[in-house]
Amino acid sequence: MLSIGELFDWLTDPENWTGRYGLANLLVEHLTLTLVSLTIAGLLAIPIGIAIGQSGRGETLVIALSSASRAIPTMGLMFALVMLMGVEFRQFAVVLALVGIAIPPVLAGSYAGIKSIPLGIREGARAQGMTTLQQIRHVGLPLSAPSMIGGFKIAYLQVVSTVVLAPLVGLGGLGFGIIQGLALRDFAQLTGSALVIVLLSITGERLLAKAQSKLDRRLTH
Amino acid sequence: MEWAAKNFDFVLQLSLTHVLISLVPLFLGSVFAFALVRLTPPKLAGTIGTTFSAIYAIPSLAIFVALPAVIGTSYLGPTNVVIALSVYVAASMFFSTRDAFNQVPQPTVFIARAQGLSPFQLFVHVELPLAIPGLIAGLRVAAASTVSMASIGAIVGVRNLGYLFLDGFQRKIPEEILTGLFAIFLIGIALDIGLMALGKALTPWTRRSAQHA
Amino acid sequence: MTKQIRKSIKSAIALSAVALLGLAGCADSNSEPLVIGSQAYYSNEIVAEVYAQVLEDAGYSVDRQFALGQRDVYVPALLAGEVDLFPEYTGNLLQYFDPEATATAEEDVYQALQGALPAGLTALALSGASDQDSYNVTSDFAMKNNLTSIADLAGVSGLRLGGAPELAERPYGPTGLMSFYGVTVEFEATGDTTVESLVAGLIDMANVYSADPRIQQLGLVTLTDPQGLFLSSNLVPIASDAVNQEARDLISAVSSAMTAADLVALNVRSVDEQLSSAEIARDWLVSKGLID
Repeated sequence: MLSIGELFDWLTDPENWTGRYGLANLLVEHLTLTLVSLTIAGLLAIPIGIAIGQSGRGETLVIALSSASRAIPTMGLMFALVMLMGVEFRQFAVVLALVGIAIPPVLAGSYAGIKSIPLGIREGARAQGMTTLQQIRHVGLPLSAPSMIGGFKIAYLQVVSTVVLAPLVGLGGLGFGIIQGLALRDFAQLTGSALVIVLLSITGERLLAKAQSKLDRRLTH
Repeated sequence: MEWAAKNFDFVLQLSLTHVLISLVPLFLGSVFAFALVRLTPPKLAGTIGTTFSAIYAIPSLAIFVALPAVIGTSYLGPTNVVIALSVYVAASMFFSTRDAFNQVPQPTVFIARAQGLSPFQLFVHVELPLAIPGLIAGLRVAAASTVSMASIGAIVGVRNLGYLFLDGFQRKIPEEILTGLFAIFLIGIALDIGLMALGKALTPWTRRSAQHA
Repeated sequence: MTKQIRKSIKSAIALSAVALLGLAGCADSNSEPLVIGSQAYYSNEIVAEVYAQVLEDAGYSVDRQFALGQRDVYVPALLAGEVDLFPEYTGNLLQYFDPEATATAEEDVYQALQGALPAGLTALALSGASDQDSYNVTSDFAMKNNLTSIADLAGVSGLRLGGAPELAERPYGPTGLMSFYGVTVEFEATGDTTVESLVAGLIDMANVYSADPRIQQLGLVTLTDPQGLFLSSNLVPIASDAVNQEARDLISAVSSAMTAADLVALNVRSVDEQLSSAEIARDWLVSKGLID
């Protein structure tokens, strides 16, 4: 079994941080794929979620979609899309898969956020003569922000988790250390990479959770 | 789909393994979470909650490879994956179970106690039945995640439907990957419907009141 | 009832019968199922299926543990007795146990391997079927740069090499290319997208197994290896001490019967006809008269 010393040595060896497959570059690749996918998902899901939340139409679709999305085998989706689009477009295929995985939670969060705004407030804003856009900007978005961020939090975890599998289709990301470590039986590399991935997930999750509760507190004092 | 027809027996075998690899953690994890919620003092609840949040945030492949180093299981074989999946289920079910019992109405509990029910009778006849909808809801979420996460176990050698993804991609057979996706989808739906039916069966009063309404 | 289910019931009955015999005091080496493993490589799995079916046909009970992954994962399992039989490749396995090995020719590698195997493992009969790592380029790239051997690559700049992630650390990987041929490459971990990436021009040279049908199908050019960067590598069954002599003879017979052309044909059936390894193995064994 691996000793803490061996693990520490591997993590602190500059050789393991430099180069195309060094931890530094892999971390950047991992974050890039994650942030790009989350942004695209947000741009698509938030407006739709707000629209459904305000009008009430399409509710059942949102609820069904968000519970069904948990059941998607991310590895299968990624492989299927890469095979479909061909290896030259594998970055695009992977981002597409990631966006597909991120949309349901963000959509659910936006929808739930708008839905939870008391009817009185929503109607009050309309009575004041605000245009739809103004309603969204001054009432909808601020009040549904905590729930939206909650949706992003779930999406972040699922996306980071799926990017771990990206090396299986020839991309980079922190999963490389796991795949290569598994093949070479290099337990230090295996566990060290897993550790960095864990830190990345937990840090992001905690940051988003904090943002969520801060916004929540601000609205409910 | 020709490929699926030609390899039906094989896909069936993989599906059976997949169902087992999903059900066992579902059971173990929920029982463990249940015990934690009911038996640990409220003081520890916060710490346990934070720990589980952290664990739930960890990507499954990372846990599959890190767990053997931590607890000494072998990388090969289903034990490692079953334990890891059970931990995930426990993490998710901890919060669902806690919420399910928290939303049992306090007045109902008071009345039952005032009527002289012992703590055990209170639990079995009042709290548990009223918590079932919440528990079932939590189980459905956990079941969906477990069924899809189990496929990643194929990377560490577990012979379940995830194998169809890896082999299909290696041999460049799209139908194989699609068969895997479809099979997992079917299993997920079957489990979901099964759990919903279980919930309805365990809460006959909700059905009766709907009829009288 | 399907053949698979019938087979499982057959083995269950066989197992129980044997267990009863064991209980009755007859020491029977067939009472423990033999565990046969394979790599996460469809071709290797077909050969493992062949071993499994030959043994089952002779009455042994077999436990299939396929897709175990890399050598570094399953060799310890072999040594620990968790796996009893495994289809392997002489050259790669020799390098695993003896990184300094100098043998390159087929027979020499086989002899060296037998010497290098640790106690508890034996190499059974060598197969004529070879399936080894090889460096390939597209025919266009070969023509453009006048390439026939790996040595010719020394004159090409900006070479991108693709292969499985672990290739980066293998002795025949980038370091070997430099020390044997003075060739510098940039490594891309393309994994299972290697051949597609080569054809799409995302990489210039790729490590492709020599028995991969796509080399012929896509007109790839395999660069010759005059300096012996790659050891000659043939299929060979590796058995633990748990495998008795009768089983060993059965497996050796099968191993000797498989030719290089046979292996490529088996791979073609897997990739083109998309059949399962069990079916392909059965058809081949029946066609060779090794089982009925």
